[in-house]
Amino acid sequence: MSNAAFNDASLFHAPQEESHAHDSHHAPPTDPKICKLGMIVFLCSEALLFSGLISAYLVCRQAAGCWPPNLGDGIELPPMPKLLTGINTVILVASSFVYHFAEEAVKKGKSGAGWMLAAALMGATFVGVQCVEWTELYHEGLWFNKGGVYGSSFFTLTGFHGAHVCIGVLLILWCFYLQVTKRFFTAERHVALMNVGLYWHFVDVVWVFLYTILYLI
Amino acid sequence: MSATITADSHAAAHHGDHGHGHGKKGIMHYLWNTDHKVIAMQFLFTSILYVIIGGAMALAMRWQLAFPGHPIPVIGHLLPSTIVSDDGSLIPGGYNMLVTMHGTLLVFFVAMPILIGVFGNFLIPLKIGAGDMAFPTLNEISYWLFSISGVIMLASLFVPGGAPGTGWTAYAPLSSFAKYNGTPIGQTLWCVSLFINGLSSLTGAVNYITTVITMRSPGMSMFRMPLPVWAIFLTAILLILAIPVLSAAAALIIFDLNFGTTFYKPEGGGQPLLWQHLFWFFGHPEVYILILPAMGFASEILAVFSRKPVFGYKAMVYAMIVIGVLGFIVWGHHMYVSGMNLTLSAAFGVSTMVIAVPSAIKTFNWMGTIWRGNIHYTVPMAFAVAFVSMFVIGGLSGIFMAATPIDLFVHHTYFIVAHFHYVLFGGSIFSVFAAIYFWFPKMSGRMFNDTLGWIHFWMTFVFFNLTFFPMHNLGLSGMMRRIADPTVYDCLRQVQPLNVVCTIGAMGLGLSTLPFLANMFWSIFKGPKAPANPWNSTTLEWTVSHPIPHGNFVTTPTVHHGPYEYSVPGLEKDYLPQNEKAPAHVTLEAH
Amino acid sequence: MTTRFFIRNTSIPGRRLAGWIGAACALFAAAPAFAEQRAGNIWGLAPCVTVHGEKIDALFMIIFWLTAVVFVLTQGTYIYFLIAYRKRPGHKAFYSHGSNKLEIIWTTAPTIVFLALAIYGNRLWEEIHRPAPSNSLVIDVSSYQFGWEMRYPGISGKLAPIDIKKISDTNHWGTDPDNPLTSQDVQATELVIPVGRPVHLLLHARDVIHSFYVPEFRMYQDCVPGRTIGWVWFQATRTGNFQIACNQLCGTGHYNMKAPVRVVTEEEFQKWLKPRQEKNAATPASSVPVATLTQP
Ligand code: HEA
Ligand code: HEA
Ligand code: CUA
Ligand SMILES: [Cu+2]
Repeated sequence: MSNAAFNDASLFHAPQEESHAHDSHHAPPTDPKICKLGMIVFLCSEALLFSGLISAYLVCRQAAGCWPPNLGDGIELPPMPKLLTGINTVILVASSFVYHFAEEAVKKGKSGAGWMLAAALMGATFVGVQCVEWTELYHEGLWFNKGGVYGSSFFTLTGFHGAHVCIGVLLILWCFYLQVTKRFFTAERHVALMNVGLYWHFVDVVWVFLYTILYLI
Repeated sequence: MSATITADSHAAAHHGDHGHGHGKKGIMHYLWNTDHKVIAMQFLFTSILYVIIGGAMALAMRWQLAFPGHPIPVIGHLLPSTIVSDDGSLIPGGYNMLVTMHGTLLVFFVAMPILIGVFGNFLIPLKIGAGDMAFPTLNEISYWLFSISGVIMLASLFVPGGAPGTGWTAYAPLSSFAKYNGTPIGQTLWCVSLFINGLSSLTGAVNYITTVITMRSPGMSMFRMPLPVWAIFLTAILLILAIPVLSAAAALIIFDLNFGTTFYKPEGGGQPLLWQHLFWFFGHPEVYILILPAMGFASEILAVFSRKPVFGYKAMVYAMIVIGVLGFIVWGHHMYVSGMNLTLSAAFGVSTMVIAVPSAIKTFNWMGTIWRGNIHYTVPMAFAVAFVSMFVIGGLSGIFMAATPIDLFVHHTYFIVAHFHYVLFGGSIFSVFAAIYFWFPKMSGRMFNDTLGWIHFWMTFVFFNLTFFPMHNLGLSGMMRRIADPTVYDCLRQVQPLNVVCTIGAMGLGLSTLPFLANMFWSIFKGPKAPANPWNSTTLEWTVSHPIPHGNFVTTPTVHHGPYEYSVPGLEKDYLPQNEKAPAHVTLEAH
Repeated sequence: MTTRFFIRNTSIPGRRLAGWIGAACALFAAAPAFAEQRAGNIWGLAPCVTVHGEKIDALFMIIFWLTAVVFVLTQGTYIYFLIAYRKRPGHKAFYSHGSNKLEIIWTTAPTIVFLALAIYGNRLWEEIHRPAPSNSLVIDVSSYQFGWEMRYPGISGKLAPIDIKKISDTNHWGTDPDNPLTSQDVQATELVIPVGRPVHLLLHARDVIHSFYVPEFRMYQDCVPGRTIGWVWFQATRTGNFQIACNQLCGTGHYNMKAPVRVVTEEEFQKWLKPRQEKNAATPASSVPVATLTQP
């Protein structure tokens, strides 16, 4: 499409002298409230993603009658390691508080980088323990394509969640990096820190649900 | 979500120096641009491409249904060998692929992006008096995710095995087991594409919701928002709640298909009906996602050309809210006879009947809007008027299926096909046409040609009914959906002439888009300049003139009253823009 | 209002609208006429041959007339408004934001109608799905890509029991080869049923979801792999030849996944079934492979 042809049609025109139109943002988009709202809306959709997966799991479980299901091939399916993951759950939930301390520190004008690093490390520990658990279950004969829907749902749900934790850890490390190198977050402006925090708390809450339905009941 | 987090990056784009897109010369201006108006046009032109592809597929299907086994003229040889045999006639598996691609393309790549991507983007900031979306960069990302997902979807036509042939509803375990469907690659691409398409919808929806809640200009209370904004706002909420469920379900298909999980396979303890529940939990809100914006546009256009306030503005809003809420508890009406618990079917039957009530309210209010109006017949008005009638036909056929025993008979027949084309084409697409004729002058700064517009309207109206009305009869005669050759059944050979009628209608319908496309491109290049407010409307988008600057409003408008103050007694002109204060001697009725 | 409508000479939009109405009417009237071959009804409606089907048709007609009246009333009024309130020089539209009274009326009225319909419909639904009468003929129906198999009770009058988990390519029904009943089952590729006797179907699917659909029976039910759908039963009211159609997209051969249905008199039915039962009763159990029928 040739540019010239569009020249005077507003949407097609090539860049032209800019009018000073910007006072129409009575609420500038960098407003932390707007960013926070955007994040919350996004997390709502994440919540529905997990609801979809969880209900898939519950439907299969309900239909199976007993859990681990009896697949009729005589194979004994391993139970879930409640204790190890219980400790892991505590670590993850604690990391939410640690992250919160980071935010509080930044709000008070301090660096908070230490707290951030601690939260990231706790998240990483969680993923590490989860990996150990996965390998163990694998050796006990459970994998996403082994053990029928028992294995499928366990690995899919924890896998989806694990991916979210990994992303969260990376985001926190990135905040940490920004903070130590540039002192990026100040008491007045820490939008990204706040949003990463929302995400991190969300991921933790989801885990509490997952731990309950996958391991405890 | 990086854009949400690094709010600063778009702030730069947005405020000072026009870092993104604005300031680039040439083609880049159209490829990467965070201005919501340009993004709207990106969505529009991309979707037009898909409507031609998806529509042409429908024509190929119609040809096969009328003349089974005869080579398809013109496009027969363009189709890949997974779909047609050497002589250019459809093979049965290929027919299934076309049905699937037609349904998927028109729902996810035509109706949704036009209703939401184009008009959501274009109208929301302009109508609420904002400079742009809350997250402009995210907005452009949304467009590119949409584009990429489209490429992936079309690519599935050319991979080994071909496109999936499992219908747009992709029922498991057919879709989740390579041995049964024979198109594992195509099916995986389908899922991946819808996953990415879903991300695009979600990023869009996050933007719309945030923008509407936080960026309204002074005086623009929620109940002063024009109905299209309300409609798209509610649609965005539905998207946030419905799309992720489809994404989750599609991910499970990918795993089942490629990695050996057994969510949908009874052999491993999985549940075939699980997919249907997840799909329709998304799928039913989806159909309301496709109609709510259409209802919003029609409400506004009817009011503008009747020169009357929308009748029962608040009732309209509440009705849409009720549709949105109830939309999540009726999904089972697609599954009455799927093997689901029978009492559950009956319960879904009741909720489905109840959800027709808000649609009834809206219909009556549309009639109330034109009542004692001063109706100007323009092309957009004609489409809006026809929208109401077509929606009523489609809605009334919905009542048949909502009654559980009737669905026992008409489920998965052409009666259903007739129903959903009346609501999807007669509803959504008619309203889209109305909206394009109505707002294009604002988008491009040029007017449409009236004669071509009227030709387009009449052809569409006549051929649409000719194509889809007889499908009711075909359905009642027992014609199943998604069959490549109706003549293999004794009871359908007798009604074959009706299939020919539908096909003639479909050809006409295909042709009817030509005057529209011609008109659009003529108007972009040669159309007469549009005045700032060609229809004498009241809403804010008509207060800016061309070219609309980046940032939209030179000064933030202040809103003084509701959106539809037409024919206010005691006023010289028959409309009172939202940013104009009513003179002291005039009292506005509360709404 | 009416007078205003009549004294005004027809403007262009008026004529356009008249043309529109005319075109629409002609269209709606003409389209079904193409289905003339189907004697006796202009709908193209398939003939109805079951007891339940007749009730469904009755409900269908109720909804049809209800929606027809609603359609004519709403669209009639609508078109009248469109013509009567077209642009007239010197006229201003009536300034009104609506009426709460009207809103209440047109919310309650449809709610009552719809709830009544739902209740009425669900009563019929419940009736159709009552447990099959004890004198019904039980037939096991198995669907696969892309065809149908039926299994009738053998001489003992009982179907061999099955275990759904055992269904496989070599054991189409999931029967137990050691059970003496297994060899007695009569298998067929057509559905032959006696007129006037309730028939109870057990629906199975071996691979993907298929559906048992016979338009003349007004009956549709999905067959779900891994499950037995046991609530389908019906009673034919007249004899004739029909077809089962699979009406759930199930793969490339879906369009042609059909099987003959013959509704015959009780005597003819016995003449068809008896020799088969006797033949099977005479064969020793072990000589009959579990899956006797292969795809045609
Ligand atoms: C825009 C999309 C859209 C809309 C708005 C609707 C609206 C409705 N739909 Fe539809 N529907 C689809 C799109 C849509 N549908 C699609 C795509 C499918 C098929 C999916 C597939 O299988 O591929 C489908 C399938 C479908 C089924 C499943 C059929 C089957 O597969 O067996 C059912 C069953 O109940 C149904 C019911 C309804 C009802 C009751 C409404 C109601 O909301 C309609 C309400 C409107 C009115 C009733 C008209 C106006 C009211 C009046 C004039 C008032 C007075 C009326 C009376 C008193 C009767 N729809
Ligand atoms: C918004 C949604 C939408 C729209 C607009 C349409 C539009 C059309 N549909 Fe659509 N259809 C669906 C959504 C839609 N459909 C869905 C969801 C299904 C279910 C799929 C499934 O079962 O899984 C379906 C299924 C479906 C079937 C049933 C197939 C089957 O079950 O076997 C048929 C059959 O006639 C059909 C026909 C048509 C026709 C003729 C049009 C026409 O209106 C199209 C007219 C438009 C054009 C033709 C494009 C523009 C044309 C040109 C620019 C001209 C130049 C091109 C050439 C002539 C080559 N559709
Ligand atoms: Cu079996 Cu369709
Ligand atoms: Cu629905």
